[in-house]
Amino acid sequence: MENRLSSVLLAAALLSGCSWFHRGERAPAPTPVVAEEPQADPSIIEPQVNRREVKTPKIKAKDVELGGYFGALSVQDFGTNPIYGVRAAYHVSEDIFLEGYLARSKAGQSSLENVFPQITVISDSGRRFTYYDLDLGYNVLPGEVFLGRGRAFNTALYVTVGMGDVKFADKDQFALNFGVGTRVLVTDWLAVHMDVRDHVFESTLFGVDKNVHNVEATLGFTTFF
Amino acid sequence: MRPLLALVLLLQALHIGLAHATERYLQLVVTEPYLEMHSGPGRGFPVVYVVGRDDSVTVLYSRTDWYKVRAPRGQEGWVRRADLARTVLASGKPAPIPPYPDFATHRWEMGAGYGVYNRQNLVTAYGDFGITNSIDAEFVVQQALGTIDNRYIASIGLRHTFVPEWKWFSPTAGIGTAFQYVEDKVPPAPREKSNQMAYVSLGARGFITRRFMWRADWRHYVVFNSLNVHEELEEWKIGLAVFF
Repeated sequence: MENRLSSVLLAAALLSGCSWFHRGERAPAPTPVVAEEPQADPSIIEPQVNRREVKTPKIKAKDVELGGYFGALSVQDFGTNPIYGVRAAYHVSEDIFLEGYLARSKAGQSSLENVFPQITVISDSGRRFTYYDLDLGYNVLPGEVFLGRGRAFNTALYVTVGMGDVKFADKDQFALNFGVGTRVLVTDWLAVHMDVRDHVFESTLFGVDKNVHNVEATLGFTTFF
Repeated sequence: MRPLLALVLLLQALHIGLAHATERYLQLVVTEPYLEMHSGPGRGFPVVYVVGRDDSVTVLYSRTDWYKVRAPRGQEGWVRRADLARTVLASGKPAPIPPYPDFATHRWEMGAGYGVYNRQNLVTAYGDFGITNSIDAEFVVQQALGTIDNRYIASIGLRHTFVPEWKWFSPTAGIGTAFQYVEDKVPPAPREKSNQMAYVSLGARGFITRRFMWRADWRHYVVFNSLNVHEELEEWKIGLAVFF
């Protein structure tokens, strides 16, 4: 018992001694004498406790949305094929967001090539369809959807408009895109997206200048950071 | 593409892990008669819970102008920024809700836009750092997509805003240097694939809302090539940006 008491006192003395090293700016006063005293009242040590600066925790802003998506892309004249991509968005206000997309797909055979197999309109590498887009989005219809009677999820129907580059038939083309989508927040940080977007660009692949529409329907998952 | 998708999925997985890590949250005390909690971060979402005066709420995080808070009994909801700004810390000091960045004195800016470069469609993205309130350093990456060729242009320059205090319309002027890389689409191939350039610019900027702004810019480029006559190019663009 006595042994334990003395070790506790020794520990207290050591701690109070150590605390001096952490004080930095203040010069050590001749208190070690007090600390050595075996019957030292613990209250004497108390004033040596450094006053801690209370830091107010920062509020985290979760305005950035990051995720991936996959679906089907219909390349005009070249059939419907799988597509997958990544997306990143920054929510400026409850209505407006800026979004970027990067995706890849591969076009199939055109009807012309199907009917006349000896004709090749584009090479195999040219069938690769990749794009990037920079979009401005607007949450038109925010709201809630209900699953049964006990669950409600926040949603938003949004429209996007933007521009970017579509690389198809080994050529980069300026493309406009128009989309409509819905975002369902499964939790506050995880969202499921369903989007339909049209990428429009000018093509001369079949000899005449025309605007081609490439519509995609995708399902995506994003998280808020 | 595939590695990028994998990276995003990894980030998401990591994020799920982090979301469960213990964090210290801000505690605020309600001083108004009550604090309304909405079911979602938007003006139309209904009020689902009300916290009374002298009760404290835990602020979890924010999304745009809304704050996700937890009431003393565990109910969670979204509080409007203006409402939360009227609460106080336990010490009685006002809630540390950061103010909107001031448009005239903001430091960072990020934006994108559309333009025309040498009669080609131009996609542009830029970052901007305010050295002083009226002088900015701007970094621009652009892709010009034309029928004959595609060009990638990167530029760095200085821009002067004549009267930064003018909120809705303030003219700017700038100079800088740029680099362009030409990717041929239709033969004959260009004489030079890449060029150093210099530019002068005139433009304007204006405030839209909160941290949102617009910019318009006209640039005149001088292209340095191996010929004796320097080529000259024109560019104009309009864009939207977010400032911090």
